[in-house]
Amino acid sequence: MDDATKRLLQRLVRRIPTQILRTTLDKWGRLTAAQKQSIDFTQPKWALTERLLAVCEENEWTVKHITELEMIYVIDNPNQGMWYAFQLLDPEDDACSVELTQFKEQFKSHLSELVRPVSVKIKKHTDEAVWIRIAWGDSFSRPNHLKPTYVVHHLQTPYVFVTSLTSKQKPLLSQALVLSTRYQAIKDANLSGRKLTAIRDLLMRQYQQVFPTNYPSPLAERNQTVSNPLIEKEQAQPAANRLQMACEAFGDGVLPQLQSAVYKLETKFRDYTNKTMTEREEPFRCHVKFASTNLLESLRHCASSGIASTPVTPLLSSIPLKGRNYFVITDNGPGPSSQTHQP
Amino acid sequence: MGAFFPLFSPGVLSHLSRLEVEARSRKSRPQQRSRVKELKAKVEALRLQRDRLKAEIETHKSLQKLRVSMDKQSAHEEEEEEEDEEEMDEDSENSQLLRLMARHTQLKDLLHAHHIIGGYNVIKTRQGKGVCVSLATAYDGVFLDTYNLEIDVKPTLRISRHNVPPFIPLNSLVEQSNMQTDIRSFLDTLSQHLNAFAGRKQQLKLVKELHKAVEVMESNVLCSILVMMFTVPGEKTAVLCTLDYTDHTRCLPTRVHFESEDKELPDSPEWKKNCSLLMETPVHKALIIMKKMGNIV
Repeated sequence: MDDATKRLLQRLVRRIPTQILRTTLDKWGRLTAAQKQSIDFTQPKWALTERLLAVCEENEWTVKHITELEMIYVIDNPNQGMWYAFQLLDPEDDACSVELTQFKEQFKSHLSELVRPVSVKIKKHTDEAVWIRIAWGDSFSRPNHLKPTYVVHHLQTPYVFVTSLTSKQKPLLSQALVLSTRYQAIKDANLSGRKLTAIRDLLMRQYQQVFPTNYPSPLAERNQTVSNPLIEKEQAQPAANRLQMACEAFGDGVLPQLQSAVYKLETKFRDYTNKTMTEREEPFRCHVKFASTNLLESLRHCASSGIASTPVTPLLSSIPLKGRNYFVITDNGPGPSSQTHQP
Repeated sequence: MGAFFPLFSPGVLSHLSRLEVEARSRKSRPQQRSRVKELKAKVEALRLQRDRLKAEIETHKSLQKLRVSMDKQSAHEEEEEEEDEEEMDEDSENSQLLRLMARHTQLKDLLHAHHIIGGYNVIKTRQGKGVCVSLATAYDGVFLDTYNLEIDVKPTLRISRHNVPPFIPLNSLVEQSNMQTDIRSFLDTLSQHLNAFAGRKQQLKLVKELHKAVEVMESNVLCSILVMMFTVPGEKTAVLCTLDYTDHTRCLPTRVHFESEDKELPDSPEWKKNCSLLMETPVHKALIIMKKMGNIV
C-alpha cells in the first residue's frame, strides 16, 4: 500500500468524527463482516486509524477506494467548509435536455483536455444532485487528493455550488462546466455560506415562501404567547401586518441558514455637519457585515418585532429575493447587475 | 337649668328634618329627568338602527332578485325580462347602483368559484402598484403545489418575485407569449407547464410508492426523463425502460424505449403492446396493468 493511500486514509479518519465514521464505513460496504466486527469504535482515534490502516493493507485498497469513502462522507455531511454559488448564463437550445450520462462524459472529457492529469469522480445523489470530486494535477505532479474540489450541480437548473477551489483552478472548472452543460457563460452568484443545503435551498427556492393572498393564510393561525392582554389587543393588527410583511420578505417556517451578509458601500458621505468628509471627491468606502448563526431568521424577527421598519427595505429583502449575500452599493442607482438597486 | 325637648315638637328639629326630606327629593327628581332623556335618546338611536337594517334587508332582497335575473341571463342568454326592468326604473339612479352592486357580487362569486376549481387567483398588492397571481396545480383530482407570481404593473408588466422552480423556463415563456400584451396567454402557458410538471412529479412519486419491485434508475428535477428497471417474472430477465417526456406541457411520454439482455423481448407482441400502453397511460397506472398481465414482477 503506497504512501499516498496511507496518508489519505489517515487524514480522512482524523477528519471524520467517530460516530459518523461508523455509519460511513457501513454505507461504503467495503469491509467484510469479520473486519467490521473487529473494529472497536470506542478506541481513541489514533488506535482506530491504526486498525483501519491494517484493514486497508489487508484489502489492498488504493487511492481510488479511499476517495470513494471520502465522497460518501462529504455527500452525507455537506455542511462544512465554505461553499460558493455560481450561476450559468444564456442556455443554448439543448441545455434543458442535457441528461446525466451525456453531462458526465462531456465534463470529464472537457476537463481532462484543459488539465492533465486530473482525477474526476462523478456521482448522482438521490436528490437529483450531481456531485463531482476533482483532484488537480499538473505537468509536474500527480493529482493532489489531499486538496480536492467538490462541485454540486442540479441538471436543468443554472446553479453550481463549489467548495475548495483556488483562483487558478476557477477558470478551468468554469470552462468545463459551461461546455458540458450547454450554457454560454458562468458568473459568481455572490452567495456563500458554510451550509450547502442552506444556499442551495435559498437559490432553488426550497423553503416556504409567502405571497399576498385573499384567502386566510396559515400565518393567522399562529399561537402567540400572550404577555399582557391589553397590549396584545392594541397591537394585534399591527403585529399581524408586520408578521405578514416579514414573512413575505423572508419566508415562513424554517429558513435556509446563512451565516453572513456583506454590503460594500461606495457612496458619497452624507453628513452636512462634517465638511471634511462630505467635501471629498472619492466615494466613502465602507464594509458592513451582518453575522448570525441564522441570519435570515434574525432579520425576519427584526421585521416582525418592529426593530426593522416594515415594509422591509429592499437592501435586506434582496438577500432571499435575489439569492445573494454580497452586495456592492453605489450612488449611481440602477447599474450593473451586481448592485442591489436594480430590482 | 336643663333644656327639655319633647319628641314630635313642631320646633327646629322637625323643620330641619322636613328640609332634609325636601332636599333629598330634589336630588332624585333631576336624576330622573336626565335618565328619561337618556332613554329617549336610546330609543331614537335604536329606531334609526332598525330603519337602517330594514333598508339593508330591502336592498338585499332587491339585489337577490337582480342576481337571479342576471344569473339567468348569463346562463341562458335570454332577452331581459321587461317586467323586472320596469319595476326598477322607478328610481333609475338607485337601480343603476343596485345593478352595479349585483354585478359586483356576481363577479366575486365567480372569482371564488374559479379559486375553488383551481383556477388563478389575482389580487391587488401595494395599493394597486402590483398584482399577485396564484396558480394552483392538480393531477388526477388531487391538489398539488401552488405557485405564485408577484407582478409590477407600472411602467410595464414585470415579474418581481415568484416561487416557480428554476427548471421551468419562466423567462422564455414571458417572451414567447408576449406577457405585456397578452397576459392571459402567458398565464395559460405557464399553467400548462406547471400542471404538466406537477403531474409528472406525482406519477413518479406514485411509481415509487406503489411499485416497490420496480427500480427507478434515473430521473431528473424536471421529471422529463424516467428510467426504470423491470424484472420479468419466471426467467427473472431484466428490462430497462426509458421514458422521455420531451414535451414539457404534457404528462405523457413522447418516447418509450425498452432494452433487455433478451434481445428478442422488446420486439415481442406483448412488449410492443406495453410500449403503446406506456405512451397512452400514466406510468403508475400502466405498471399496474403490466403487473396484472404478468409481464412484470
